Amino acid sequence: MIANQPMNLNAVAERFDISRPAISKQIKILTQCGLVTIEQRGRERYCEAKLQKLNEVSEWVEQYRVFWNQKLDALEDFLAKDIANETMNKPIKHKK
Amino acid sequence: MKNEPVIIERTLKASADRVWKAISDKDQLKKWFLDLAEFKPEVGFEFSFEGGPAQHLHLCKVTKVEYGKLLQYTWRFGGLRGDSLLTFELFPEGDSTKLILTHAGVETFPAEEVGTKEEFAEGWSNLLDSSLKVYLGKKED
Repeated sequence: MIANQPMNLNAVAERFDISRPAISKQIKILTQCGLVTIEQRGRERYCEAKLQKLNEVSEWVEQYRVFWNQKLDALEDFLAKDIANETMNKPIKHKK
Repeated sequence: MKNEPVIIERTLKASADRVWKAISDKDQLKKWFLDLAEFKPEVGFEFSFEGGPAQHLHLCKVTKVEYGKLLQYTWRFGGLRGDSLLTFELFPEGDSTKLILTHAGVETFPAEEVGTKEEFAEGWSNLLDSSLKVYLGKKED
């Protein structure tokens, strides 16, 4: 809801079927996580979503996805190479 | 919040035995993944290495082994909070083997330590270049 634009706290509270203090509490938790910031504008307090924080959370996930894909490519190459070498080596292997 | 594990499936053109060796034999691991002083697919075996995405010291401990089928170890960083679990599972499919890699708990690592995407990519590609490509290059000579 506040992802698109900053909204004042009352407007946020109106959208939910819970009390204003309860909303404040939820918003406070989000603020502590750094996911939301609150800005005083005159008499009203506006909250804004900091979605890049969420991106940071998933950054590791994303990086590891890339990493493991690279690693499994490397594994595929290794296995393919190994098979090629085995086949190539076979004729010159001396049988006891 | 995104905290689903990283799951990657690959069908490899090799028998499960060969894939098992590639993921559990020290000499084979060195050729595509990790250059370790020692590796044993035994529960409780611990190993560590430096490098990777943020150039951290990695600390790992084998937690589960089903010989030829499943290998699981913890994957965390020295001096950083967070812990993750890496699982390799092998499923024979005719002449091929399906490998399912699951990396769970990655999101528990501190976001501020992740480094930029560029740093991350550089770290891993260095690892790839220094180990795998160099090795493969030598073999081709």
